[in-house]
Amino acid sequence: MQWRNSANNYGAVARFLHWSIVILIIAQYVIAEAAEELPDGLDKFAMITRHKSLGMLVLGLAVLRILWKASNKGLPAPVPAVRPQQIAAAAAHGLLYLLLLAQPISGWMMSSAANYPVTFFGLFQFPALVGANHDLHETLEEVHEALFSALVIVAVLHALAAVFHHVWMKDDTLRRMLPFTRPRAP
Amino acid sequence: MRLGTLAIAALLLIASAAQGATAWVSDPARSRLEFSGTLSGGTFDGSFTRFKPEIAFDPADLAGSRFDVTIETASADTQDADRDAILKGTEFFAVERWPVARFEAGRFTAAGPGRYTAQGKLTLRDVTRDVTLSFTFKPAADEATATLAGGAAIKRLDFGVGQGDWRDTKWVGDEVKIRFDLLLRRK
Repeated sequence: MQWRNSANNYGAVARFLHWSIVILIIAQYVIAEAAEELPDGLDKFAMITRHKSLGMLVLGLAVLRILWKASNKGLPAPVPAVRPQQIAAAAAHGLLYLLLLAQPISGWMMSSAANYPVTFFGLFQFPALVGANHDLHETLEEVHEALFSALVIVAVLHALAAVFHHVWMKDDTLRRMLPFTRPRAP
Repeated sequence: MRLGTLAIAALLLIASAAQGATAWVSDPARSRLEFSGTLSGGTFDGSFTRFKPEIAFDPADLAGSRFDVTIETASADTQDADRDAILKGTEFFAVERWPVARFEAGRFTAAGPGRYTAQGKLTLRDVTRDVTLSFTFKPAADEATATLAGGAAIKRLDFGVGQGDWRDTKWVGDEVKIRFDLLLRRK
């Protein structure tokens, strides 16, 4: 098993972080939507509490992912493509990292603004980022939803681009990030 | 002359003892009654914005001291409308049925310089339980005002606060801390 990234391939750590974040974000959406449907009560509270703990997990994984990327010093190299395509890919990646941080932080701030504690599955409590403020909470609720829409749009473009590389350009872009796959033999 | 002053002072002391300890009223703008609960292992704060402390307290006359505090349960404020609605609802404070909570204490003991405990009874919903407060009492230099600050820890389920599903302490902790900080003025 190759842990670190190489010149032409992502290692196990980068792939694990990529796909665990994808799965968690889909789960987060499902949980948030299900909680919305429930009347105010213990079940709704419990569901939103899980959503917050998972959100803090996403934040932690996103930070690890960015640190891991930095420690892998630009590996793997971008796949050969025309300059505008490489710029678009780099911009999308940068935006995704930013959204992966901003999305959970906006949720964390939203909780703080409504005077709700944020814990990691009840094990420990994160400090409040802002003081209790009703108007700020309402604004942050909209920001949290808008950031999710932005995240979905950029992530879909990112996934379509990977499929485009795989199907039309027939390169290793998708294969090097999919779990349990190897680059094509040179 | 000096003997006369002493005699008057002694008479005043006897007179005040007969009336009980010094009576105080709180300054609502500078007095707070707060609580901290836990939600899924994290703490959050709230307060009661309307409460009326009837305080008769004198460190030199603990036997004649007395607290009688009434709290409007509908004034509970946790800075979130959804949570406040649940708190005031039938499963927690049930404010329509029990609009007032009350703490009465008549047994005081000194617990160190300026520190005291008050043993009393707290009535919340339809349940009355013994509760002991720890507090400090600091009179101002001119003795016209004093600060009374302290707290207690209670268990919400002892008072039936949280019925049905809410009895589960996994999400809403049983222990609730109460804090108060009152500015008192001589009545």
